[in-house]
Amino acid sequence: MEHSSGFSLPNSGHNRDAEASKMGMWLFLFTELLLFGGLFVVYMVYRLLNHEAFLLSSFELNVTMGTFNTVVLLVSSMTVAMSITAIQKGNAALSIRLLFVTLGAAVVFMVVKYFEWSAKIHHGLFPGQLVFDNLPKGEGLFFFLYFFMTGLHALHIIIGAVLIAVVIYRTRKGLITAEKYTLTENAGLYWHLVDLIWIYLFPLFYLIH
Amino acid sequence: MTSTALNVNFFQAKKGLFSWIFSVDHKRIGLLYLYSLLTFFLVGVTLGVLMRLELLNPGKDFLEAKTYNQIFTLHGVIMIFLFIIPSIPAVFGNFFLPIMLGTDDVSFPRLNLLSWWIYIIGAIMALSTLIWGDGPADTGWTFYAPYSVKTGTNVTMSVLAAFVLGFSSILTGLNFIVTIHRLRTPGMTFMKMPLFAWALYATSWIQLLATPIIGITLLMIVAERFFGIGLFDPSIGGDPILYQHLFWIYSHPAVYIMALPAFGIVSEILPTFTQRTIFGYKAIAFSSLAIAFVGYFVWGHHMFTAGMSGPARIIFSVMTFLVAIPTAIKVFNWVATLYKGSIDLQPPLLYMLGFIFQFMVGGLSGLVLGALATDIYLHDTYFVVGHFHYVMFGGTGFAFFGALHYWYPKIWGKMYNIKIANIAFAIFFVGFNMLYFPMMIAGLMGMPRRYYDYLPEFHLPNMISTFGSWVLVTGLLLMLGNLIAGLRKKNQPKVGRDPWGGITLEWQTLSPPPVQNFDRMPVLPKDGPYDYEHKPVIKED
Amino acid sequence: MNTIKQNHNDQGHEEHPIVSYREHLSTLVALLLLTVMTVAISVFGSNLRTLSVATALLIASVKALVVAYYFMHLKYDKKLYTWLLLIVGVLFVSFLILTSIEFLNR
Repeated sequence: MEHSSGFSLPNSGHNRDAEASKMGMWLFLFTELLLFGGLFVVYMVYRLLNHEAFLLSSFELNVTMGTFNTVVLLVSSMTVAMSITAIQKGNAALSIRLLFVTLGAAVVFMVVKYFEWSAKIHHGLFPGQLVFDNLPKGEGLFFFLYFFMTGLHALHIIIGAVLIAVVIYRTRKGLITAEKYTLTENAGLYWHLVDLIWIYLFPLFYLIH
Repeated sequence: MTSTALNVNFFQAKKGLFSWIFSVDHKRIGLLYLYSLLTFFLVGVTLGVLMRLELLNPGKDFLEAKTYNQIFTLHGVIMIFLFIIPSIPAVFGNFFLPIMLGTDDVSFPRLNLLSWWIYIIGAIMALSTLIWGDGPADTGWTFYAPYSVKTGTNVTMSVLAAFVLGFSSILTGLNFIVTIHRLRTPGMTFMKMPLFAWALYATSWIQLLATPIIGITLLMIVAERFFGIGLFDPSIGGDPILYQHLFWIYSHPAVYIMALPAFGIVSEILPTFTQRTIFGYKAIAFSSLAIAFVGYFVWGHHMFTAGMSGPARIIFSVMTFLVAIPTAIKVFNWVATLYKGSIDLQPPLLYMLGFIFQFMVGGLSGLVLGALATDIYLHDTYFVVGHFHYVMFGGTGFAFFGALHYWYPKIWGKMYNIKIANIAFAIFFVGFNMLYFPMMIAGLMGMPRRYYDYLPEFHLPNMISTFGSWVLVTGLLLMLGNLIAGLRKKNQPKVGRDPWGGITLEWQTLSPPPVQNFDRMPVLPKDGPYDYEHKPVIKED
Repeated sequence: MNTIKQNHNDQGHEEHPIVSYREHLSTLVALLLLTVMTVAISVFGSNLRTLSVATALLIASVKALVVAYYFMHLKYDKKLYTWLLLIVGVLFVSFLILTSIEFLNR
């Protein structure tokens, strides 16, 4: 039995492969897109079936707050993208600072969201509350979808923020460098996805009137 | 990579339970899946046999109507989500995809282990409904709203289990796609990839892109049960048929998650036992992708009688007929591969022939159901039950067991008793057809599915069917017993690297494979993966 | 055996160009302009009701593409990713079309 002590396969699954990680992240983003996709199908069908009710209900939402949050997310998307540029140029300090801006944007977004939701809940529009249960046909669906979709989106904001916090920690530890920044890239991709979904949620809920 | 343990096979490398359940070695994970899948499969079989026993005679025998409903639901959930969907990809895909590509693992080994753990958690959740709460769901595995929202049984847990299992499926698919893109051995282009890898590639895309839809749909069912608002309830403007749409947007492609890997298995086993190149390599490879793609647009054929609009029904019916084309292409190519091959009738090939026969019966009866007019008559009859068992069990199930017989010597380095395997196959095959063919007859006679009772005129086919279930179980137990006996037998000659004369890369390494899969660089045949004329010489040593 | 070396053995990043800060900034400006546009059409153009929904979705799609193309680096990545994203998009739009055909013909 030959003992080829030097033999190892060139294409090992245990090699570091940045391209593979990125591809894995993209594939995961596709599943996220379709997860929300299912909800968009539901939204479309119920909007077709309850046209007027959806229009009426959308007046309950606050366009100013929605627009503000849109801007917040777009800015945070840019800072994440810039932090990748920074780490590629070897400027870890700047990269961390930009990621902190993103993290701050996430917090601002969630705070605005909190005020929006509590206003609705105050009006009794949350599923199970009194006003909600007596809403006319179709309007209940609108608010159910509103809470379900923005709630799921907010959950993604939280996950994204945790991911970015991990990136900050690892960059600070020196584990992410100009040569090895896959995690920053992937966290960035995830954050952009969160932004991407909001880009559709915003007009569909706030701007349809 | 350490090279000291190079020729130690993956069984000996480490010992102990924890070295298995926390292993990141794709071979061990494949076997973990095999053992867990077979366990759940046997539970599912038991439930099926109980149902057949109840249906032996008309009238109530020993099961209450509600218990019967819960049993067929659990049977469906176990067989679909715990057995068939993961079956071939999770077991043989995990074990053999990296070896066939000439690499040492999947792209994300730890994610792979996570998939198995998620699978186990989902399985425990699904089975836990047996012992707590209000008993297992009684909705059928489809969880149709609004009944699934209103019934008192433990639907929430079953639905969450399906959601969790979906994650496992997604992660496995993701892993395989990246592995196929990134880890093929140098020189192996996409067009030189074994057809099993092609089939897994197409399957993985379906797992990835269809599963999220059912995930979110099931979450909506849970939310609806929790808040009690009737999302799919017409009284507040909802639509119960929308649930069926969302369900089948996933669950029809899921049928191809179950079937495509089986096609890959057939395309591997046939060349080995005919010792010739596969007929129409490209046609088989691309028809997998075509099935995966067109399969997304046929979901409506499950809902022809649900009150869907006319134009949509026609579109879905036409698409259903279109998806039969790439499937037929495969069957023709397989049959053409047998032509003028030097056929060696070993157990794996027997299973493949059984597969082709039964899959044809299943596929053609599927066209009967895909046609609008006949489906109105046959919808929700036993014809449908017979049809999908022919496709899923007679097709994928047989391919699974054929693959087990085919790769058995490679996985364990031992051989089972061929003669007993042949006898077991014969019993299994006869039992299978005795069990499911009468169902189609009963369906044509008008017997509806999902009842614990039936009119006396359906007695004869039901009796034959129940007898068939006993024959089938006999064959199954003999087959599994024979395989286990082969592992336990002492002092049998070790099988070499290539006991069947196969040509794909897994036959170039040791049996069982070493931890790193290869003890020397695998060599590709000159013209494609099934080029028997330039088959590389496999030295034993 | 020579072919082994040239394949992806322990690959770091397959070098892609570093995107400038300026490009990211102009992308953001474009996105903000589109946002202003879509809000303006919705708030002041309520007499063009159906039109405004269509334009809102159109503008949203343009924004999504800008995010994907610039922020998500599709511009600099292998074309494979663009193709895959397109296929996913086509698939999803087909779901929408098929279900709407069904519900509009009830």
